[in-house]
Amino acid sequence: MKKEINEKDPLQVVGCAKGHSHEELIHNLPRHYNYTPNLIQKIKEIPEVILRNSGTLIAKKVNRMMREVTTEAYRSKQFTRTEMNNRGVLFGVVLLKHRVMDLVLKYFHERWPECIICLYNEHSGKTGIINERGVIQEIDSTLKNVVEGVSKNHSVIPYFDDIQFSGREIFETLYKSQFISERENQNYFKRMIPDKCFELPGMRGGVEKRFRNKKINDYL
Amino acid sequence: MGKVPSVLEKIRILGENSKYDICASTASSRTNKYPKLFGDSKKWIGATASAGICHSYSPDGRCMSLFKTLYTNKCIYNCKYCFSQSCRHKMSFTPEEYARTFMKLYSMNVVEGVFISSAVCGSADDTTEEMLEAIRLLRFKYNFRGYVHFKCLPGVSQYLLKEAISLSDRISINSEASTKEHLAEIADQKDFKNDIIMRQRWLKQIRVKHNDETLKFMKDLKQDNQLKYQEAMIKERREDGYKKFRWDGAPILNSGQTTQFVVGAAESESDYDLLKRIDWGYKEIDLRRAYFSSFIPIEGTPLASKQAAPLTREHRLYQSDWLLRIYHYKLKDLKEILTEDNNLPIGDPKIHLARQYFKDHGPVDPNLAGFQELLKVPGIGPISAKRIINLRSRKFKFKRRQDLKAVGVVLKRADPYLLLNGTNQTTIQNFIDPNNSKFLQREIV
Repeated sequence: MKKEINEKDPLQVVGCAKGHSHEELIHNLPRHYNYTPNLIQKIKEIPEVILRNSGTLIAKKVNRMMREVTTEAYRSKQFTRTEMNNRGVLFGVVLLKHRVMDLVLKYFHERWPECIICLYNEHSGKTGIINERGVIQEIDSTLKNVVEGVSKNHSVIPYFDDIQFSGREIFETLYKSQFISERENQNYFKRMIPDKCFELPGMRGGVEKRFRNKKINDYL
Repeated sequence: MGKVPSVLEKIRILGENSKYDICASTASSRTNKYPKLFGDSKKWIGATASAGICHSYSPDGRCMSLFKTLYTNKCIYNCKYCFSQSCRHKMSFTPEEYARTFMKLYSMNVVEGVFISSAVCGSADDTTEEMLEAIRLLRFKYNFRGYVHFKCLPGVSQYLLKEAISLSDRISINSEASTKEHLAEIADQKDFKNDIIMRQRWLKQIRVKHNDETLKFMKDLKQDNQLKYQEAMIKERREDGYKKFRWDGAPILNSGQTTQFVVGAAESESDYDLLKRIDWGYKEIDLRRAYFSSFIPIEGTPLASKQAAPLTREHRLYQSDWLLRIYHYKLKDLKEILTEDNNLPIGDPKIHLARQYFKDHGPVDPNLAGFQELLKVPGIGPISAKRIINLRSRKFKFKRRQDLKAVGVVLKRADPYLLLNGTNQTTIQNFIDPNNSKFLQREIV
């Protein structure tokens, strides 16, 4: 028996509840690694209210795909650890399964508009670059080669030369200093940094990989 | 002469000294809301548009998004609860060290902004001057336009407050206690009315006056199509000390002022005292929000032998603060659920309030209740209440529980207080004492 569609569904009327609009889906779903053009065709035929409600299999699938895309972009912005050389090249390593490199690059470009930003994607083996003018390109080369190549064309900039010192130890010290043992809350900590995030390139062996200010390896 | 501490040593000691300042918010509406007159310039570094992102979490699960250390731990005060009291290693950053270290961390994408606080070394004005120098360097040497939270010291002069306001997104002055008497218990050298309350009032006055003038002026300019002139003029202002405008032309102090209390350090201080103080803050000084830090005894301080305040007390205060700030409950409502010693009862204050309110009024029908009444139902927040009202205005009738779930109502909390199609969820109370239960009586009727 076919289920009747409730035309007066609250989500449709309010238009601001869960889920995504047709435009958002059409714009963002192609970023998913498992995307096929047929999917967009199917989505166009389904009313928005059904897609928003996650009641059907296709709606569940679409919302899951959107969630995976947005989460990956967000996590990469949060946990990508970058370095900067004295020629104004900001570089780091990311692990992006989906096509969200442009979002991550733009995020860094907004913060460092004078820098050239190079992010190596471990998943695809390519390096994404955004220059000072905001032009994005992807090069099939390692991060080291790309950073060297880009740096050659730039002279040393005093501003960036001024902050050339090891920051890793500084952050590790700051991180340790903020721990209040009386407030220790293992469950909350694990919830805030999911295990999956420890696999991100920036987090590998990073200072966050610890509990009670010890590295995970100390427990293994 | 002693050995000069390294930057790492300073971060270790001064970071630890500041860890009980628990603010981690980086919320600022600056770049989104207001025109970026200098925002398109390539030389500015950092952003507040995406603020709110957390780059790491400490093992207690708290977000670490700010470079949070004291500027110095040399202090003229001897507050009984304070970490700096017990710390033997006294040191200070230099403005250059502070700014450079922060920029390095920012380039590593491990912090989102600055939280600068300090002990009072010499005088409040001297220390504030140095802190401001560090922020000036950040803003104008390193061109950082991201988030800055400036902690004002008790007793600081008004002219320094003005400058701090023009350079920061958020300012706070720690109240530490709710009244003069309670503050005297834990920090007898501080003058509650003069050092803290008066400064909080100044912050409001400076901000309101400045923002009114700026907005009026900018509005006039926009009407006259004098944007080019405006740009040139703001540049000019910028050169003579940023007295009038900020570099992006935005009203100052977008994230407002906040304050922090040490909960449980003063013996006789009750939750009601604290709630009364923050309620006053929301009404009188445009307080944006309050932070509560449970007292933790620190070895080497006069209060080392005192028992720590339970973290649940802090949590309940945050819940009540939310009710005052977001749900616009009245203080007298909260007073009704307090225990005999004027503390909040165990459990969610909203549920306590709901039990009390609905005991007299009976459950509400979401198709008839007003906004304020809907807000009293646990599981319904301002957003879902607005959606319900919005739907009703479009002639939508709530007949099923799923309809409510779809607009974001948490049914397991809301069910006991809702009346749908004339029926209400039966609770165990109905079976225990059916005669006294108004809920059941209504259902039978």
